[in-house]
Amino acid sequence: MIPLENFLILSGILFATGLYGVLARRSAILILMSVELMLAAVSINFIAFAAYLDGEAFSGLVFALFVITVAAAEVGLALGIVLRLFRERRTSYVDAADSLKW
Amino acid sequence: MEEVWILPAIPFAVFVVLGLFGRILPRNGDLLAVLGMAAVVVLVGFVLVDFQDAFVDDFFAPVAGANTYAFDWINIGDGFFLIEFSTYVDAITMVMLPVVSFVALMVLVYSIGYMKGEQRYGWYFAALSLFVSAMLLLVVSGNLLQLYLAWEGVGLASYLLIGFYWERQSAAEAAKKAFITTRIGDVGLLIGIILLWRVTGSFDIQEIIHAAEEGAFGETYLTIAMLFLFAGAAGKSAQFPLHVWLPDAMEGPTPVSALIHAATMVVAGVYLVARMLPVYDEVLIARDVVLYTGLLTAFMAATMGLVATDIKRVLAFSTVSQLGFMFVALGVGALTAAMFHLFTHAFFKSLLFLGSGSVIHATEEQEVGKLGGLRKKMPITTLTFAIGSLALAGIPIFAGFWSKDEILHDLEKYGPLWAYAVLAATAGLTAIYTTRLVLLTFFGEPKDQHAYDHAHESPPVMTVPLILLAALATVAGLFVYQDVGQAFGFVGGIGEVVIAHGEPHVFELDVPFAAGATATALAGIAIGFMYWWGDARRAREARGWAPELHSLLERRYYVDELYQAFINYAVLGLSSVVAWFDKRVVNETGVDGGTQLVGFLGHRLKFLQTGRIPNYALGMALGVAALALVALGTS
Amino acid sequence: MIDRLPLPAQFDRLIIAGGTAVALVMTPILVVLLALMIGDEISAAELVFWLAFTVIVAGALGTVLLSNIVHAALALIATLLGVAAIYLLLATEFIALVQILVYGGGVVILIIFGLMMTNAQADPIVSDGSQKPFAAIVGLLLGSIFIAAAIDAEWGAQTTAVIPFRDFGARLFRDFIVPVIIVGVLLDIALSGALINARSSSDDDEAEPASEESEAAS
Repeated sequence: MIPLENFLILSGILFATGLYGVLARRSAILILMSVELMLAAVSINFIAFAAYLDGEAFSGLVFALFVITVAAAEVGLALGIVLRLFRERRTSYVDAADSLKW
Repeated sequence: MEEVWILPAIPFAVFVVLGLFGRILPRNGDLLAVLGMAAVVVLVGFVLVDFQDAFVDDFFAPVAGANTYAFDWINIGDGFFLIEFSTYVDAITMVMLPVVSFVALMVLVYSIGYMKGEQRYGWYFAALSLFVSAMLLLVVSGNLLQLYLAWEGVGLASYLLIGFYWERQSAAEAAKKAFITTRIGDVGLLIGIILLWRVTGSFDIQEIIHAAEEGAFGETYLTIAMLFLFAGAAGKSAQFPLHVWLPDAMEGPTPVSALIHAATMVVAGVYLVARMLPVYDEVLIARDVVLYTGLLTAFMAATMGLVATDIKRVLAFSTVSQLGFMFVALGVGALTAAMFHLFTHAFFKSLLFLGSGSVIHATEEQEVGKLGGLRKKMPITTLTFAIGSLALAGIPIFAGFWSKDEILHDLEKYGPLWAYAVLAATAGLTAIYTTRLVLLTFFGEPKDQHAYDHAHESPPVMTVPLILLAALATVAGLFVYQDVGQAFGFVGGIGEVVIAHGEPHVFELDVPFAAGATATALAGIAIGFMYWWGDARRAREARGWAPELHSLLERRYYVDELYQAFINYAVLGLSSVVAWFDKRVVNETGVDGGTQLVGFLGHRLKFLQTGRIPNYALGMALGVAALALVALGTS
Repeated sequence: MIDRLPLPAQFDRLIIAGGTAVALVMTPILVVLLALMIGDEISAAELVFWLAFTVIVAGALGTVLLSNIVHAALALIATLLGVAAIYLLLATEFIALVQILVYGGGVVILIIFGLMMTNAQADPIVSDGSQKPFAAIVGLLLGSIFIAAAIDAEWGAQTTAVIPFRDFGARLFRDFIVPVIIVGVLLDIALSGALINARSSSDDDEAEPASEESEAAS
């Protein structure tokens, strides 16, 4: 049996990688992709806990499903924004949209 | 008797109606005010009869149904802090009720003539009704907080009426002065009430008296509390050093002076001390303070009255002086003497004020230096005014004689001899300045022909109250006899027994003593005639003997100047320090400094707002990392 | 036949280069793991786990490190498939299927559409932000915190239960019916929002305020 910690460590690495991507990337689409990585990490956590610790109720599974659904919605919406940004600024770099600065 | 709360309710209803609808009522509703007041007088008559039936021997014992609970006014914590709206009727109340209601009725009737054609005619009657309502509530109050409410109510009405001619600068300032000066005393009263409540947990006057008699208070504590209470009484009753507002209060319409500043409101302080006298009996130091304050005020005011040139101010000083007499009586524990003097004084002093109002109405002049010889043109006014003066001076038969004699008698019996000497001298001074006033106003030659030509006798609506009051000023003193008093319902109060030092004894006239007092009064009158008869030449000569003394009196012992100096140097000096602190430290350093600091920081820190999402996300991630570290550390 | 496909030439190269790279990385790992399994060092499940682990981590690193945006998208697909394998390993076939369907079939396609509709096609090479070092520090910090927490914590009794599909459905649509409905509404709103956002602003001026509103909201 694979210990629970393995899944959690995997999830942690995946999340940290996604976070790095979100913080370091300039392209809005790449940031979106990094967010997907983070969401996947969270889903792994949910499902691992559901399978290992909550065999009777498995609420984690339900939440993982919701995470996937919300992620889909989020990507749809975010891509709309990215397209909008691209149309306004002719670029998909997020630091082009900085008119809310001082 | 249980329904005694109706008495203040009627004038209050009148006030509300006149205040709201005065403009659209016929004659601005003055008749409504008069009718309401007449109803109150009739009801007071019923209360008197009722009281006579319920009377039991003991003067202080509350009669049946006397302490009447009406409703819970404030109830916090289910009885922890409970104020009932309650009424209390005993002999002291029974002296106050007829005085207040009757004089108020006389003044209202008189005002119809006096205030004719004035602006704000309806408002005048509304404010007078408000005053009467508050005054009646004050005298029937069963607890101190309710009394305090009424106390402030009469203060408010007084303020409104002194400042009735607010277009005149001096009137507005006099109103302000009266309000602020009495407020100093009122704060003392409130502190006193709170001090008493702290120990007893009750505002009920009778409960407090019982607690004091059973020794629930520490002696020093009770002394301080009662001195604070007396500060309130001194403020309202214009006792030294808070007397300065009353002479200035003469800026109000004359009937107002008669009602508020002679007969009723100013005796509220006397009433309060009389009401709490059993407590004062427990702490003799506080009672002595009452005595000597009254003595000093009586003497000072009488001397100031000697030189005042305004007819109303002479009367105002006389009022202050007579209030001093009442406090002297209370100071030796002579409750009945004080209440009796209050009773007679109300009639003859309101008579004098209304008479002076009649003069002012006729001549539009109130400086005695410009009056004179009016007896030919205003016979009724002259006669009634003379009766009032004789009563004030203390000539036998007239009301003032009996009560003043009673006070002197009790002082001689229970007080120090020198105090008696001073008060007797003051009684002589009273006769002098009263004579002076009468002679200068009604006798001699007219000094201002224009004013004299203008003069005429007042209409009946003004002279009838004068005559009624003059009749009372003549006979009111006779109530001191048991049979007379009983016939008019003053059983046990003024009528039957005289209470001094808590020991009731039946009144008897001490003939030699009274003869001495009468001689003093007559001597005063003789001196008055000597100096002011005819063209008052001797009086002018006398002024030359001691000009410093004259100006000292004329400037009212420089008390006003002293206060002004205090305000100029102490208050304004302190204020300027506070103002400097406020301007420099609070405003420029605190407020402006704060805003400048925020502005500066904002100017610098705004560059943190790069507008770039990754920067914000980095900050957020750092925050999450910090929180995670904390969570990891605590788990 | 390949010539006739409307694929850009770079995709062609990409598939060849990417396949070669994946094969080079994966083959030795697979060999090592197989050897360990045959030697009874690890079970079959563990073999699958470590394989998926490698794919996920490598794919994630590729996603965030590759400078060519198209390469990054392909690496993301690999990661998501690896995650689906993990789900299978945890005995939740349904979620694994949903993962493949929604991510592989929906999200990634959507993202690639997004790439195509922006200038990624003409200029697929992107530069990274200036705060890259800080991002690395924060990422490492948070990752190590997570790993430390995972190792540190006492997880108590662990059972690997096989979750029946039927029970899952019953739970989802009985106990969680309100959240399911809400998520449905959310999807609807997201659809509308995406529509309004993506619409060309020059279409009509009336759409302008609405689009700005949703821009501010997102």
